[in-house]
Amino acid sequence: MGANTPLVLPLAEAAPLGERWVGGKAARLSELLAAGYRVPDGFCVTTRAYQQFVEDGGLKNGIDMEMERKAMSSMRWEEIWDAALRIRTDFLRTPVPSDISEPIIAAFRSLAAPSCAVRSSAVGEDSAARSYAGLHESIVGVTSENALLDAVRVVWASLWSDAALLYRRELGLDTGTSAMAVVVQELVAMDRSGVGFGRDPREPTEDRQVVEAVPGLCQDLVDGAVDPDRWLIRRSTGAIIDWHPGIRTGQSEDPLLDDGDVGLIHRTLNTIEATFGWPPDIEWTGRGTDFTLLQARPVTTGALGEEDDQRRWYLSLRPGKSKLEALCKRVAEDLIPELEAEGDRLAEESIEDLADAALADAIDTRAVIHARWKQIYWDEFIPFAHGVRQLGTYYNDVVKPDDPYEFVAILRHQPMLAADRNSALCQLAVYLESRPALLAQLRRLAADRSTFSSETWWSLRKSVAAADGGSRFLERLDQICRQHMDVAYHGEQLDQRPDLVLHTVVEMASIGVAAVAGSASAHATTPYEYERRLLAAVGPERHDEARSVIAIARLSWRLRDDDNVLLGRIEKQLLRAAKAAAERLERSQRLEAGARITTESAALLSAALRDGMGGRVILQDRGEPTRESSFTAAGETPRQIVGQPAAPGLVTARARGVRTTDDLKRFPAGEVLICDAIQPTMSHIVPLAAAIIERRGGMLIHGAIIARELGIPCVNGVSDAVLSIADDEIVTVDGYLGIVTIGPPEFDIETAASP
Amino acid sequence: MPIDDEPQFPGEGPAGPGTPDASPRLADKIRRLLTEQLYGILCTQGQGQPYGSMVAFAFSADLSFAVFATPIATRKYRLLSECHHVALVVDNRPQHADDMMKVEAVTATGRATEVAPSAEFNEYSRLLVGRHPQLESFVRASSCALFRIDVFRFFHVMRFQEVGQWVPIPR
Repeated sequence: MGANTPLVLPLAEAAPLGERWVGGKAARLSELLAAGYRVPDGFCVTTRAYQQFVEDGGLKNGIDMEMERKAMSSMRWEEIWDAALRIRTDFLRTPVPSDISEPIIAAFRSLAAPSCAVRSSAVGEDSAARSYAGLHESIVGVTSENALLDAVRVVWASLWSDAALLYRRELGLDTGTSAMAVVVQELVAMDRSGVGFGRDPREPTEDRQVVEAVPGLCQDLVDGAVDPDRWLIRRSTGAIIDWHPGIRTGQSEDPLLDDGDVGLIHRTLNTIEATFGWPPDIEWTGRGTDFTLLQARPVTTGALGEEDDQRRWYLSLRPGKSKLEALCKRVAEDLIPELEAEGDRLAEESIEDLADAALADAIDTRAVIHARWKQIYWDEFIPFAHGVRQLGTYYNDVVKPDDPYEFVAILRHQPMLAADRNSALCQLAVYLESRPALLAQLRRLAADRSTFSSETWWSLRKSVAAADGGSRFLERLDQICRQHMDVAYHGEQLDQRPDLVLHTVVEMASIGVAAVAGSASAHATTPYEYERRLLAAVGPERHDEARSVIAIARLSWRLRDDDNVLLGRIEKQLLRAAKAAAERLERSQRLEAGARITTESAALLSAALRDGMGGRVILQDRGEPTRESSFTAAGETPRQIVGQPAAPGLVTARARGVRTTDDLKRFPAGEVLICDAIQPTMSHIVPLAAAIIERRGGMLIHGAIIARELGIPCVNGVSDAVLSIADDEIVTVDGYLGIVTIGPPEFDIETAASP
Repeated sequence: MPIDDEPQFPGEGPAGPGTPDASPRLADKIRRLLTEQLYGILCTQGQGQPYGSMVAFAFSADLSFAVFATPIATRKYRLLSECHHVALVVDNRPQHADDMMKVEAVTATGRATEVAPSAEFNEYSRLLVGRHPQLESFVRASSCALFRIDVFRFFHVMRFQEVGQWVPIPR
């Protein structure tokens, strides 16, 4: 076989060729055809076509780069998604050679239906002990030859989808040997479609079968877009045990299938089992004489995502289009306004003068509120972030850009809370720039760390107020603290830290606001130019669809930044109550002065307030979480670290780590900001940075987006080794290639050893 | 406290679904490569000109030095007599461009010193011939010189651009 294996062949001829060449789905469909079942007409694009496309297109290197650039075990879920997007975009940008495209198009022309479905047929996917459904792509409604070639490439690329990469060990994914076949079938559009299981997957030993049905296409059921009617059937007799209606708005409440329809599916399940020797899991469409099998594979008892690990959570982060639309509505219309109102309400509550028991109640109430919103953050805000990723996939599929992250330009200039804050800081810096004497005074004050702190600030401000323009400056500084810094960061209430804000404004004014990153538009094109590019690529008939995807993405990005800030406000309000309690306990000498108060200590403090015995309170200070560098052995140091090229540019400058709240005030303009992760609550110092190195990886995380927006080179997703970079070390950040070089290219050791 | 949206994926490795990342120490990665490979490129310099030549090498157990042999009528011998500073490049380059991400390379910088006949000479020649039995008569020839390279540091490259350095004996 090999070189003689056909690139394309009719479905009826697929099974004899062997699963290695046609994949599991095509082999099963071919067997069903041979056994006399009604299956939509179609053909199979063999794995040889995939291998030839990958080889001719030079794609293997790109896949290898993604798989090996960094140990996948240390990749975050967003980095895995990024890798899959780059592979998918590479596939779509690579033309299908004519010796592959011509037989595909010829086979497509031979189909009678005007529309077809293009499905994955991965090798081994249906013989696995558990179902890997949902890992690979299926595209329905393909009507043109160009769309067909795009769809085939998308299905090929889905061999390396984010979900597949997540399960690469179980799948045995290997860049040298793995391949994907594709099934192209006429799209059969009937009034009912669904799935059927020859045995109940949850309890396969029971005498039970399961049937599900939805109106319209089966794909809507598989995608989870429509809630199905569900029947439980006695496997031995076909008797219906139970029917559970699906929840669908505007639909009749009658069952979607009558008893005869259910009986036909029952008999089909049993005859397939008798013919092939395994209880089937089928997808079907149509009723009565129109009943057609779309797919059949052995029932598996374990479904993807049932493992007790974080991968299940990750898979939930990729809601389909309709789920995303519903989530968008809930987040934008209900959750964010509620979160904002909750923060306002808590801020207005006067808690400092409450009696001990009432203050303890306030702490507990706030702790419950904080915990609730953290849960909502995990359950709904993070999945809603998929709106941005949905745009990325949509844009790249149709525009096929050189830069897989070109679509991010569409998200620029969203009215975010953090952007409002940065704008207010810039305006105050402009005010300061126009008053050199005041600026010089504040620079001297901020530079003297022996006297300048949040505690001394209140006495030092008297001298500032006396200077020309000083009162107005303080007024505006206070306003920024109240309006924009009413959040918690690393367990501190930032509105109580005007020294941090002062530092940022003084640094901005010192280098000149015009030189602050992002103060002038660094972009030649506007978001609307990229939006127009997308609309032109999809064509007028899909404008509404594209605009909907863009609208969700913009809202998703804006709210994913705002939700962090707003949640920071809730955290700050919990801290405020905890600190009020701590001050009280300190005064009565039940708590050591200066103890570090965190949201975790809130419960202890409220209990202490209620404790009439007046016992001492001991807080466990776990300190800041630390990560160890992987270069800990003697004599070993990182020299060049590879991460993601998150924002382009090349900068060599001094390194400055930001690990604590106080580090925010030590960050001088023009240095390289090194941190674990940029948080929206501290991103006001980002415009000062010459470049950014972030341990957390992802092309669409806060730091990456802000860096691109401001035109600051950024490398993220670097190994923990980055944490061993000392302050003042010279580092080079290559945001084009994603490389961080530590230290100059010296030969100090070698030259010191000369004669 | 920042909100942690950073789940780790449990698997065979320390935290992930993919290839187990045993993350051996850098020194172990270097040792493995130097054990697997028999030959490297010796980089010398002189007369304003860098020069590279392939040599068969053997490293000491602690990787603090390497030995190699060269005929004395060679260009590299002459250059070594002018400048002791050398580099030795050892790699596992594949034959196919597709395998670029699997390439590892070590560059050892150091000072090369000719070893005169002595007990030390016998010890070092045994080390070299132990790895390269075919060089036994070559090493013992009167026109051949044995060199010891005292390593200053190693640079290790993997995954195309990931570079670490290790100083075996801090100076």
